[in-house]
Amino acid sequence: MSNTTQSTVSTGSTTAVSRPHSILAEYTTPADLMHAAEVVRDAGYKYWDVYSPFPIHGMDDAMGLGNSKVGYFTFVGGCTGFTAGMSMIWWMSQYDYPIVVGGKPLFSPLYAFPVSYEMTILLSAFGTLFGMAFLNKLPRWYNPLFKNKRFHAGAQNDKFFIAIEVTDPRYSETETRKLLESTGGKHIEQVEE
Amino acid sequence: MASHAKEEVATLKLAPIWSKLPLILTIVGLVVGAAAFLFNKDHGKQLAYSYLTAYMFFLSLVFGGLFLVLIHHLFDAYWTVPLRRIIENLAMLAPVMFLLWLPIVGFAWSDQIQLYPWFFADVHTDHALAAKQPLFTRQGWVIMITACFAIWTFLAWKFRSNTTGQDRDGSSKWTFSNRVHAGYGIFLFAFSGTFLCFMLMKSLMHQFFSTMYGVYYFAGSVWLTYGTLYIIAMLLHRTGPLKAVVTKTTFHDIGKMFFAFTVFYAYITFSQYFLIWNANMPEETFWFIRREAGSWYGVGILMIFGHFFLPFLVMLRQDAKRSIAVIGPVVALAWVIHYMDMQFNIMPVLHKDGFVLHYGDIGCMAFIGGILAMAWLKLFKANPPYPQKDPRMAECLGVYVPPAKGSMAAAHLGIK
Repeated sequence: MSNTTQSTVSTGSTTAVSRPHSILAEYTTPADLMHAAEVVRDAGYKYWDVYSPFPIHGMDDAMGLGNSKVGYFTFVGGCTGFTAGMSMIWWMSQYDYPIVVGGKPLFSPLYAFPVSYEMTILLSAFGTLFGMAFLNKLPRWYNPLFKNKRFHAGAQNDKFFIAIEVTDPRYSETETRKLLESTGGKHIEQVEE
Repeated sequence: MASHAKEEVATLKLAPIWSKLPLILTIVGLVVGAAAFLFNKDHGKQLAYSYLTAYMFFLSLVFGGLFLVLIHHLFDAYWTVPLRRIIENLAMLAPVMFLLWLPIVGFAWSDQIQLYPWFFADVHTDHALAAKQPLFTRQGWVIMITACFAIWTFLAWKFRSNTTGQDRDGSSKWTFSNRVHAGYGIFLFAFSGTFLCFMLMKSLMHQFFSTMYGVYYFAGSVWLTYGTLYIIAMLLHRTGPLKAVVTKTTFHDIGKMFFAFTVFYAYITFSQYFLIWNANMPEETFWFIRREAGSWYGVGILMIFGHFFLPFLVMLRQDAKRSIAVIGPVVALAWVIHYMDMQFNIMPVLHKDGFVLHYGDIGCMAFIGGILAMAWLKLFKANPPYPQKDPRMAECLGVYVPPAKGSMAAAHLGIK
């Protein structure tokens, strides 16, 4: 954060030094937000996000988001589960404690399959959940945007926002503000850490 | 209501070569079938089994088509609205399938062919047959199959006439009527589908028990139907009739269902095999033991990899389901694999030592496929290619249409 400016804000009786976190712009309709997102995307920003009270179809294209990477975590989880299930049954019934049941072979992938199948589903679900949390940098106690009064009141109600983080390589205090102004964003302000 | 529907709807226009193809297939199939009858020196036994295999293959599409229409109305779905004419007309092939069933009646009655060996078994000495009376009698067989086709024809005709009725006046009463018929129709469908597949295919080895057999055929059928629907919708989208109403998301959704039934088929097939393997009773295992003889074993392995692992892994990714370059080859595979599945179920009765691809097999596929293609094209061209005044159409296209003043919907929502 070498290129960020430092400012002082008064919080109650003490004075704390605070760093900027992002620049926030407000929009009144989903269409405005969508067009603004296209402009920000084309300008080449990386660390930014849009906030809306409800999902907007086509927003992932407007933001230039690719396919989610969660699927890879799911796939790896599933493969691990299947292999673990098969090896567990093999180890238990062929190696560790062999007992002949119903004249069946000591190990057959057939009767190991239901367990492997359940393990595949379980570990796929774990992969999905924890992969999602990892990619979203969760768990996280606090987001600086919550401190902003306009954001707090509007993002869950009837307003639409774009926040560009100051850590973005293309961020510039004047140019980014101009860009957001050109898209019709209102109440453009800096949000502090 | 959905008054935004275009005034002029592009109709299906086929190039001369394509419009003649079904007729050519029918004639070629007829000639090849006749050759199999005349030159095979088995009184038409091979022809009868080839015909039954091809028949069960194409029955899958009618079965799947009717199921898709039923669940569309049951779930009040909107995404299948633009595709509904395709599946309604697939279901409407049920009376054609009834007529195509008549040769099977002949094969079954023939002393030389004995298509269903139990037709000629003595009920006093065959315990399995005695236990299945009166269903497994000649009369029972004919009555059950006729009743099943009557149910399918009635349901398919009702859905089709309702949707064309709505094209004329746009009234919502047609939609409500469809819901009522789909409500009881799904029960009739489940029973009739199971019985049809029991009578036509499972009874080839009448000692066999499997309550999952109907679901097994159903899973493969709907799998094939979703794949076929993808291709038909893509062709109609590219050539014009569905250009305006079918979107990328629609194909993604068909792809998802195609993928889902890949998994469902594997689940059902494995469960059927696993329970029989585990219980290890001769009344059930003989069916699979016959199918492990010779190259039938290889066909069984082909089912595991071609029906499940390959399509599953290929279609796993999200972008694969949207890409015709990926789904196209998978659908081609699905046609081959589902046909091999029918062979696996039917042919071990005739060819005990292994899989044989006879030219009669191909002739019967061409014959039945040609007739059904002609019938489907005639049915499809008789009406606009997608529902014109369906209340769910706007939703499907992502358009918000405010309820008109004084309309039924407005009254329902309390808007004055």
